[in-house]
Amino acid sequence: MIRVSNLHKEFGNTHVLKGIDIHIKKGEIVVIIGPSGSGKSTFLRCLNLLEQPSRGEIIFEGISITDKNNDINKQRQKMGMVFQQFNLFPHMTVLDNITLAPRKVKKVNKEEAEKVAFDLLRRIGLENKAYSYPNQLSGGQKQRIAIARALAMSPDVILFDEPTSALDPEMVGEVLDVMKELASEGMTMIIVTHEMGFAREVANRVVFMDEGKIIEQGHPKEIFNNPQHPRTKDFLRKVL
Amino acid sequence: MDFSFLAKYYMFFIYGLKNTILLAIFSVCLGVILGIFLALMKISKNRILNIISTSYIEFIRGTPLLVQLYIIYYGLPNIGIDLPDFLAGIIALSINSAAYVAEIIRAGIQAVDKGQMEAAKSLGMTHNMTMKYIIIPQAFKNILPALGNEFIVVIKESSIVSIIGIHELMYNADTVRGNTFQPFEPLIVVALIYFIITFTLSKLLGLAERRMRVGDQSI
Repeated sequence: MIRVSNLHKEFGNTHVLKGIDIHIKKGEIVVIIGPSGSGKSTFLRCLNLLEQPSRGEIIFEGISITDKNNDINKQRQKMGMVFQQFNLFPHMTVLDNITLAPRKVKKVNKEEAEKVAFDLLRRIGLENKAYSYPNQLSGGQKQRIAIARALAMSPDVILFDEPTSALDPEMVGEVLDVMKELASEGMTMIIVTHEMGFAREVANRVVFMDEGKIIEQGHPKEIFNNPQHPRTKDFLRKVL
Repeated sequence: MDFSFLAKYYMFFIYGLKNTILLAIFSVCLGVILGIFLALMKISKNRILNIISTSYIEFIRGTPLLVQLYIIYYGLPNIGIDLPDFLAGIIALSINSAAYVAEIIRAGIQAVDKGQMEAAKSLGMTHNMTMKYIIIPQAFKNILPALGNEFIVVIKESSIVSIIGIHELMYNADTVRGNTFQPFEPLIVVALIYFIITFTLSKLLGLAERRMRVGDQSI
């Protein structure tokens, strides 16, 4: 589904990604871990071109999105993204947050879009917040809405950029529960997170990144119980 | 102090006030239109547009309004463009105001959290859609109070065009001073009129601002 080859990203003189190669298949749940500054968020943001890669190629569903002539907006409709800071639209109700993109981008009519939105809100248990504004919600509720907003476009893959890092500890669970449910439904997910418990439980594959490279990857059992590379061992010793 | 001249001359003040308000409204409207273009030029990625807009803004903000007014009023006829006084006044004021409005709009747009742009993009929205539905509505809340202030500033600054003979509030006050041989009292009257307008406007703006604060605050 997503094939990345030799991906590089430089910010001025800082070489953040130094040649990433990875192939992600449909239905996979890939969790990316690594120390801060290892380039994991940058990598994720390159996948939907929120960051323009300096070199390398990304192929999504058979189309090279790093091709200069490609209109990335088409692929972004199929790649949802959930941000650390939620980034809900503060001037719109929850319902409008969810229905805006389907209506304007996919030209779904209002009734249909709202029906889908209410279905999603019911799934995440926030049906009663449809007409609230984001600032009236808790962090956990905001993030669940942000996930619903991404889902409303019925994407083929969702990118999660540290979705629980900005949350109070008691709200992390409710967001992870929604993500687990998505995982069980077969959604393809690429997740940057520090939640090792979640990675162990939900991931099909754990990717350890450090200094702009993929150091080691594999099934969570192998990575967590029997890491091969000294840097993986060192990192896991610090966080577990 | 003797204000008995008002009985005879009050129409001077009312007529002057009318012209002052017309000047301010036209100047701000034109200033906003020109300011929007300047702001868009300034945030665009095109370097030439950038330089044009930045030079304009810096030059206008770096020279006195009086000089700009004289250049328009005396300079344009020199190159064959003859404008009615009132129009010359409006043009000078709006050219001046546009530079400040452009900075207000640019700051308002850039103050919108960049996560908003990213979220909209990640949903497949085009740049234009993002501006229209996400950035501009939020920028508007940042811009409106400052724009209201600009309107108030223009009302006050417009007094300077009395110098080219436009019969606005300040000019008419001068006329009354000459006619009555009272140099002081008419000035008190215009000062009060200016103050009442600007004070009322700033109160109204505060009201509008509070109305718009629904769903605001952090993300």
